[in-house]
Amino acid sequence: MPREWRRAWGRATPYLLILPVVLYYAAFWLRPVLDAVIGSFTGLDGTFTFENFNMVFQDEHFVPALKNTAIIVIFSVTLEFLMALLLALIINRKFFGSGIFLFLAMIPMALPAVAVGAMWSTGLTAHGWINSLRHYLGFTGKVYWLAGSELQLLALIIIIDAWQVIPSVMIILLAGLQNIPEETKEAGYVFGGNYLTVLRKITLPMLKPTIQTAVILRLISAIQIWLIMVILLGFSRLPVMVERVVFYHDEVSNLEISRQMALGYTIIVSVIVSMAALAYLQVSGAFKREAEEVV
Amino acid sequence: MKKKNKPVNIAKAAKTTSLYIIVTGLVAIILLPIYFVVSLSFLSTREAYRYPLPLYPALETKFELTHGKRGYLLSVYDRVESEYRTIKDTSDLEDMSLFMKYQLGTPMTVAEIEREVARLETQDVIRFSHRRNLLSNYQTFFKVTRNAVPALTRSLQICALTIVISLSIGGMAGYAFARYIFKGRNALKFSVLFVRMFPGVAIAMPMVIILADLGFYDKPMGLALVYSVGSIALTVWITASIFMGIPVSLEEAALVFGATKLQAFRRITLPLALPGLAACAMYAFLGAWNETISAIILTQFNPTFSVVVYQTLIGATGQVNLAAAGGIAMALPAIVFTFFIRRYIHQMWGGVTV
Repeated sequence: MPREWRRAWGRATPYLLILPVVLYYAAFWLRPVLDAVIGSFTGLDGTFTFENFNMVFQDEHFVPALKNTAIIVIFSVTLEFLMALLLALIINRKFFGSGIFLFLAMIPMALPAVAVGAMWSTGLTAHGWINSLRHYLGFTGKVYWLAGSELQLLALIIIIDAWQVIPSVMIILLAGLQNIPEETKEAGYVFGGNYLTVLRKITLPMLKPTIQTAVILRLISAIQIWLIMVILLGFSRLPVMVERVVFYHDEVSNLEISRQMALGYTIIVSVIVSMAALAYLQVSGAFKREAEEVV
Repeated sequence: MKKKNKPVNIAKAAKTTSLYIIVTGLVAIILLPIYFVVSLSFLSTREAYRYPLPLYPALETKFELTHGKRGYLLSVYDRVESEYRTIKDTSDLEDMSLFMKYQLGTPMTVAEIEREVARLETQDVIRFSHRRNLLSNYQTFFKVTRNAVPALTRSLQICALTIVISLSIGGMAGYAFARYIFKGRNALKFSVLFVRMFPGVAIAMPMVIILADLGFYDKPMGLALVYSVGSIALTVWITASIFMGIPVSLEEAALVFGATKLQAFRRITLPLALPGLAACAMYAFLGAWNETISAIILTQFNPTFSVVVYQTLIGATGQVNLAAAGGIAMALPAIVFTFFIRRYIHQMWGGVTV
């Protein structure tokens, strides 16, 4: 009897160790998420309705917000990935000072969003440090960075994001490159491949898991970009999805429909992000059967 | 033999040179904005509103003093124009001292000014320089910004609570994932990852009501509970990989020598895992320290430090040099901790073993 008890105890141990996490997530993740979903389908009178989403879709800033978010996600992720890959391929070897270089490259991504906001908001004003620097370099006249058209502002945001993200993606890709055994590439050259064929047929395919990781995780954070716009341009000038949530929750919190609007936007963002997250889990092998995993 | 090698060496040297050029360029691009904000945070208020901005902060201010219509005429050396500019005409030395302190970041007591003024008895024009207080913007930021000091304390409290919650709860699960093979292991591990990727803003809004029910709304504990959701997931993944790296045989050896399982864990595994656990704590700290949107939603009268800096930045009242000081104060822990956790950087990306 005690022996069976002990065996049962042994089998239960991992579950007992994980139980706190499960309980915590039930209380502080699942419950709020369910509340948000239910709230987004509840009207002001407390009954089930689709009206909240209707209001969100009819919001004059909804389509621009969706469009701006999509543009930022597509262009920034593509640009950042290609630049980072190019840099990683060039830098891919140990050199004097590489340790310090890698540390410096990690900094932009680790900086808090408000610190990055402080950086560019003091830089991009007419009398900011960027125009000052241009002045010292001999350019005459000031550039009014924040007075541009919507497209120029989007480009600006994408460049700022690139400054923050490219170094980190480069580090991730460098780590992936360093995991590829030298012999595999040498074999490619032995069989007559040149640099480009080896890159296309050996390096990139072997780098594929790293690339997928980097791209999808970047996608998830790019969808949620908002703070830099608000700091540089204020609300509603260049609307994006998460900015709308803060707008309705914080800026116009006294409207009768503020909460409904904020919840509606939140749910839409969450659905989009969840799809990206599921794609990520798919490529990282989350849905493989257990037996395969043990091997 | 030597002759043959020479062209190869030139090619190699060219490659190395171009590598260093690219690396240097990258470092410059990364550091330039950071440098300018740091520099701006050390400039005096007067210089922060000059155009073009001085390229680096001055260590001392040069003054020129002469007799004016209303008393003493104070001029200050302008580094951009390379000449003295008259800025004040007053006989009130108290007023002059305050002006020097707040506008020029150069604290000079009335007695010190009097000593210089005394020289005007014999001379028409006198020049002198005085050491600047480089940290004056930081001091003013914390003094002037309503809430900055309590917000800083609150942020640190939140970070500490987040570390405790996520390390204790997440660490246990991480150990289970590393040491046991059980049904549903994979599904559970990736569910945790999914939770981490889920947008934080989506749980912040409904959490207003949940935390109000618990009495934690607008309190450090409330935000710590929210931030722990993300950092528990990260802790699970990092600790799992740490414990996997520590051989089970060490624990088994301890068991053979008569230790209990708990003792074996405490005396053998835990000390070995300590550096990794420290990295986890730093990640939890940074996650809580850097976050803004949940903090905006979940605080009302007791904002976190990041919300205070955010408000300085979007408010029209904030001076640029003070905003820069706030931004740097915000960035400092991030840079310091990144230095310590740079070996664990992969975990920031979801902790994937690729």
